[in-house]
Amino acid sequence: MFRSLLLALLRFVVLMLVAGLAGATLVRVAPGFSSDAQELTPGLSSESIQAIRQARLADSNVPQFYLHYLNGLLHGNLGTSQSLNQPVLDLLRDRLPVSLRSLALALLVAWSVGLALAVGAFRVRSRWFVAAADSSGGAFISTPAAVLALVFLMMRWPPVLAVGLLVFPKIYRYSRNLMEECLELPHIVVARAKGVGPWRLLSWHVVPIAIPQLIALVGVSISLGLGALLPVEVFCDLHGIGQLAWTAAQSRDLPLLVNLTFVVSCLTIGAIMCCDQLRRLAGREATA
Amino acid sequence: MKMLHKIAIAVLLSAALASVLARYIAPAGYEQQFRDEAQARPSIHHLLGTDDLGRDRFARVVYGMRVSFFLAPLAALLSTILAAAVGGIAGFCGGWVERLVMGATDLFLALPWLFLLITVRAVLPLNLSPVASVIITFALLGMLGWAPAARVICAGARQALQSDFVWSARARGCGGLRLIRVHLLPSLRPALAAQFFLSIPVFIIAEANLGALGLGVSEPLPSLGGLVCELQDFVMLRPEPWRLAPLVVLIVVIGAFQVLLSKQEVHA
Amino acid sequence: MRARALLISLVLACTCTLFGQNGGGQNGGELRFCLRSDPKTFNPLLVNDDASETVRYLTAGFLLRVNRLTQQPEPDLAISWKILNQGKSIRFKLRPDVRYSDGTPFSAVDVAYTMQRLLDGSVHSATSDAFRSGEGKLVTRVLSPALIELNFPAPVANLAYLFDFVPILSSTSPQKEMAALGPFFVAEHKAGAFVLLKRNPNYWKKDPQGRQLPYLDSVRLEVEQNPDIEAMRYERGEIDLINTVSPAIYEKLSSVNASSVRDAGPSTDVEEVWFNQVPSAPIPAYKKQWFASTAFRHAISEAINREDMARLVFRGHAVPAAGNVPQSNKFWFNANLQPQAYDTSGALRRLQSDGFRMENQQLRDKNGNPVEFSIVTNAGNRSREQMATMIQQDLKKIGIKVNVVTLDFNSLLERMTQTFNYEACLLGTVNGDLDPSSQMTMWLSSGEDHIWNPKEKAPATAWEAEIDKQMRIQASTLDLHKRKAAWDQVQKIAWEQAPVIYLVNKDSLVAISPQIRNAQPSPFRPQAYWNIENLMLARR
Repeated sequence: MFRSLLLALLRFVVLMLVAGLAGATLVRVAPGFSSDAQELTPGLSSESIQAIRQARLADSNVPQFYLHYLNGLLHGNLGTSQSLNQPVLDLLRDRLPVSLRSLALALLVAWSVGLALAVGAFRVRSRWFVAAADSSGGAFISTPAAVLALVFLMMRWPPVLAVGLLVFPKIYRYSRNLMEECLELPHIVVARAKGVGPWRLLSWHVVPIAIPQLIALVGVSISLGLGALLPVEVFCDLHGIGQLAWTAAQSRDLPLLVNLTFVVSCLTIGAIMCCDQLRRLAGREATA
Repeated sequence: MKMLHKIAIAVLLSAALASVLARYIAPAGYEQQFRDEAQARPSIHHLLGTDDLGRDRFARVVYGMRVSFFLAPLAALLSTILAAAVGGIAGFCGGWVERLVMGATDLFLALPWLFLLITVRAVLPLNLSPVASVIITFALLGMLGWAPAARVICAGARQALQSDFVWSARARGCGGLRLIRVHLLPSLRPALAAQFFLSIPVFIIAEANLGALGLGVSEPLPSLGGLVCELQDFVMLRPEPWRLAPLVVLIVVIGAFQVLLSKQEVHA
Repeated sequence: MRARALLISLVLACTCTLFGQNGGGQNGGELRFCLRSDPKTFNPLLVNDDASETVRYLTAGFLLRVNRLTQQPEPDLAISWKILNQGKSIRFKLRPDVRYSDGTPFSAVDVAYTMQRLLDGSVHSATSDAFRSGEGKLVTRVLSPALIELNFPAPVANLAYLFDFVPILSSTSPQKEMAALGPFFVAEHKAGAFVLLKRNPNYWKKDPQGRQLPYLDSVRLEVEQNPDIEAMRYERGEIDLINTVSPAIYEKLSSVNASSVRDAGPSTDVEEVWFNQVPSAPIPAYKKQWFASTAFRHAISEAINREDMARLVFRGHAVPAAGNVPQSNKFWFNANLQPQAYDTSGALRRLQSDGFRMENQQLRDKNGNPVEFSIVTNAGNRSREQMATMIQQDLKKIGIKVNVVTLDFNSLLERMTQTFNYEACLLGTVNGDLDPSSQMTMWLSSGEDHIWNPKEKAPATAWEAEIDKQMRIQASTLDLHKRKAAWDQVQKIAWEQAPVIYLVNKDSLVAISPQIRNAQPSPFRPQAYWNIENLMLARR
């Protein structure tokens, strides 16, 4: 158990380091890294434009930048954002809690609605119910995140709820399919034939089988939630890391982007690995 | 219930026919600008009115369906195949292969792919035709959209491998490709179907968002995603509710797909 | 001239005050409006983004200010000034008994300190570059606490006007750059959320009745990137003004309450398209030949329907442009120039005379190459995407195929300024300064901003050499009429040669709550709040 946790932690650290380096490389290789909108200010002399470009190119050597960055990281210094001219640590301290709260609320909504509908479809066994649930899922998944969030804002509802509604169709779909799949397993067919009630069937037979995959879905839903949160934060001006990431991406702000890659990696990889551990435990218990 | 299926089939057939026969159905070309009738309300000449440049909205929706409804399912299929391959291999092999492949998948989920897309645009010629651009975009979406599903599929594969029917098949000497084809893949079908299905609308919308990077459908070719994303101009929605038409079309067609596919999934 | 400007501003101030009193305005209250982004800096000398510029405008003190209505400089911290030594020197007489927001007294030493900081080499701004007119250093002579002379190594064009962009720092205040001489000071800043400015109790200006200005107690600047949400908040009364609204939002707000929006007339912003004429650009040689041909560029200009563009894309809130100086720039506009008239047959004739021919609705050059090119523009700017689409449709009528490509801004910038990997580009120019001397780097063939072919070692064409000559004349003389004649000549050559095809001048559209009194929107930046000290809020 201890060894497995230690290995998981090691794997996590390695993945984080690789993610940071890969993120930095992607940003550096992408066109526009050496450009700055300031260059277009009318009246700037050649010397000033060259000085602006040189300042942009200060971090152009990725390995050197990354080593320097990791060294700073060990000493609690995350660098300074080029585009916002503020310490990254301060920015993250302000923005991260906003995004985490939004994400937690959105996932709560997504899982509540998704699972409720999936269980409802399993319990009611009405194709009309299924069709209605499918259609509502289809409607939300077909609507751009920004549009849905803006409508919420117009109605004076919290726009982060829109993120929940964008993620729930995926949770509903996967969990309903899992339950349908379980229904065809021989021992469940037998249980049904023996007249086991739907709730008992669900709690005693279906859930234990579906749980490992659902736990895998929890990890993935964090990544899906983050993906949906970004445009919502950008369009609705929510001061979270999504909005920060968009500002940083537009101005190719390498120090900020590398830190944000770390944060996103930490959240997604961390969540997935935690879920993996849980899944293993659940699997062992189910087998036992 | 049969009625619902008939309606779904009718919707899909109408959508397919409308996009194939767009030239005959649409009152004008999607790019034709009736500049004296710009921002017109719906009328007998322009069923859904005209946009800011005087282009017939109905024609643009019909032509937009052609691009989105043909290419998005192909991209969804590509991502589903990749998810099945990656997730399936990891789940089937287990051990260090699973750890390695899933590690790469986790990494894949965390990276800022936006910059890869910007780089791809940089290496493509500027005079790329709108059709080539949209095909490349959907292919990229297909290649980048597999990671979340791969995790679920890997978990499914691991579980299926430990199930009684696989043990019994193995005991009977069934192994390798046959085990995957006959036992594993059918048990993964629901997860794969969900991935395929959910990807279609997601890719349709994502294509439109990639327009901001110079990828996707370029003017004047319309795409349904592009038309739906125009709704971000939401201050105009209340006075001009007919702008919602592309979204309604998208929802109805995706809904019809779902009705049919759920039947397939249940019977699978 | 200064006396006339003073008289006009006095009359305006009286009118404003009377209007304010009649309109039910009152002292106090908080004005709220939005910034597009968080200010990058509160150091007024390092400002290079719009949000920081807004904070600077509202908090910093300047020796003189250009009145956005009369377009004339007016005394501010300086009571008077005199240009000496053929434009190499300027002497300011400063206002006495002025204090910074923290109580530190203001004197000529602060002006000297500010100018030294501005020109110390680490500051890279258009203003500091404009003062660096020649080799050598600035010499400041503090003649008395209220008198200072600044001596530059070479004559500086438009010298007095440049001080409209020089915020005066304190050399002694413990608050350093945060000590304000303007109507407000920065009281609070929450990164990414808002900046709260409070009334500067030591602001020197008073209204004609002797009341201390500004009338407002505070200004709250909220960070809001999305213009649609900004409009929604304005409609709900959560903010009091929007400095720039899009034509669509303008129409929407106007349909609800016509008095809540105003069209201040053509701004200095101009939309333009140009062809890449860089000899080393990685594009086919035959395309470079087209782009270098004046007849080709003129034909393209002639085939673009600017009237339609102004009517459809900007919903009538723009005018076809003849050049990059709008009519509203009263002195520097060349009234002899008219926007290129839309004439497709004229365009075709011009192309045919240059060796192009039509074959099956497709234009071909003399070597048989089909004429097609791409226009790049920045993604996310809806009006530019629409303009490019209209150009695509217009040029199709003369057999030219245009591919519209939208790119994120940094990628576009890299192509424009470093790799030169583009064929035609559609962008806009924002001219903060009304005087042409700020456009030197754009028009001089050696300039970095000489967008169609930057940093030429020697002028590539005779007309570029002529533009160089005229620009140098206008920059080196103090005689306004000589400067105007030279600048008129530059505009005329630009019109004839069309290195840049000017499309439309956008109007300045602002939304100002009817509750704000004394607002007099100007076409020039900052449109809605340029007279912030005179703005008053009606009882809420």
